[in-house]
Amino acid sequence: MLSLYRIIKFSFQDIVRNIWLTIVTVTILLLALFSINTLITVRLISDNAVTAIKEKIDISLYIKPDTVETEIMALKARVAALPQVKNVIYVSKQSAIDAFRQKYQNDQAVLAALKELGRNPLSPSLTIIPKNFDESELLINNLKMIDTPIIESRDFSDNTAILNKISGITNRVNQVGLFVISIFILTSLLVVYNAIRVAIYTHRQEIEIMRLVGASNFFIYMPYLFSAIVYALISVLIIISVFYPFLTLLQPYLEAFFTGYDINILSYFVDNFFLIFGTQFLVVVAINVLASLFAVRKYARI
Amino acid sequence: MIKLENISKTYGNKIKVLQNVSLAVKPGEFVSIVGQSGAGKTTLVRLLIGEERVDSGRVSVGDWDITRISKREVPYLRRQIGVIFQDFKLLPKKTLEENVSFALQVSGGRPAKIKKIVPSVLKIVGLDDKKNRYPNEVSGGEQQRAAIARALVHQPKILLADEPTGNLDAINANEIIDLLLRINKFGTTVILVTHNKDIVNRLNKRVIAMEHGQVISDQEHGKYLL
Repeated sequence: MLSLYRIIKFSFQDIVRNIWLTIVTVTILLLALFSINTLITVRLISDNAVTAIKEKIDISLYIKPDTVETEIMALKARVAALPQVKNVIYVSKQSAIDAFRQKYQNDQAVLAALKELGRNPLSPSLTIIPKNFDESELLINNLKMIDTPIIESRDFSDNTAILNKISGITNRVNQVGLFVISIFILTSLLVVYNAIRVAIYTHRQEIEIMRLVGASNFFIYMPYLFSAIVYALISVLIIISVFYPFLTLLQPYLEAFFTGYDINILSYFVDNFFLIFGTQFLVVVAINVLASLFAVRKYARI
Repeated sequence: MIKLENISKTYGNKIKVLQNVSLAVKPGEFVSIVGQSGAGKTTLVRLLIGEERVDSGRVSVGDWDITRISKREVPYLRRQIGVIFQDFKLLPKKTLEENVSFALQVSGGRPAKIKKIVPSVLKIVGLDDKKNRYPNEVSGGEQQRAAIARALVHQPKILLADEPTGNLDAINANEIIDLLLRINKFGTTVILVTHNKDIVNRLNKRVIAMEHGQVISDQEHGKYLL
């Protein structure tokens, strides 16, 4: 207990009396953590954006205008039973024309043309939302195989092309993103590792003196390992206190940019607080302790 | 008490720093080891504190054979042998008092013991009024006295002084030597490694002279002959 107290005392004494070294080391840790958290944010935004775009691409089956509703409902149930389908929304002729009028409420030419026509030219439809975006192609194939005369149009060629394109882009973004994040994280970890080694390097004379006055290895290593944990704790606490206001400032801009989509980075960070910052704390502690261990061992050799 | 029997030490494959050195130092003696740079004096000190290992021969301190001392035993050896160096080796971010008490703290000394011993050794070396100063706030002589105080807190039987006056002016150097003589009077064996001729001649104590890693003379009341 006495030893633990002394180790903590030596560690805090060292942190306070070498305040500039502490500030520099913590700043480097902060920059590394900020980079990593920024990358996480960028990744989240891109993932959310891609998901939002995917959700906007629905697959529709257009029904012949004179079909009775019971037949449409039977088809809806049949489509909903497909394993790739998450939901099927029935859009009646009336709903379709209402939505059309709403969409073109400010375009008098279009509304006038509709009035001139004298009847509802739109067909009822079934809007199909897939369970999994990646299974869209299989879903389209299944829809093509439904044999019923009430279907007016099932041309999905445009959707298939868009879906394939988005799939390609998202896969590429994921691959490149993963590579960039890996490089960034690796660089950050190396910078942190080196910062701790430099901090220990400045203490090499002290380590030598500790040996000469008969300090046991426990007393030589432990204050530095404890300091390494304190550095990690301080930097993670600061990054939390800096990053949340940053996200709070960012959120309205994101909402404005992705109008109509549900993107909430702040709530993601709040919901996954312990996973995100707990992991970062543990990783930084591991790197710091490892770097301290190797550096002190180098200077504590007998 | 200290016994070196036919010890040899080589650095790398070629540089022979000690060759068949044998000597014995009795408890309570004051011995000066003299010689020019490269004579092997500092290597001798490093062997005695377990910082180096001999290639051949035997080194013992009291009943303790430290020839092949394990890494785990080294801290215990260093708590029994006080060492002071030319460059003082004080912790710059600790006060003089903290530097002295540090040696006891890292060896698990009880607070009551530290509270009792530290002020008394600081008084012995004449630093009780400057105990709260940092090393860079006192003179070289005072830094060396703090280093001596630190070496004394374990109440060692042996005090090794490796060129303790090398960085000091004549007045401070003489003060440090007087302090070492006082410590020797209390019964502590003092081994002074130096190449300061005036100091050795003034002491009129045992002088061991070394050259090219060998003992070339050993006089009971010697002078600096090199």
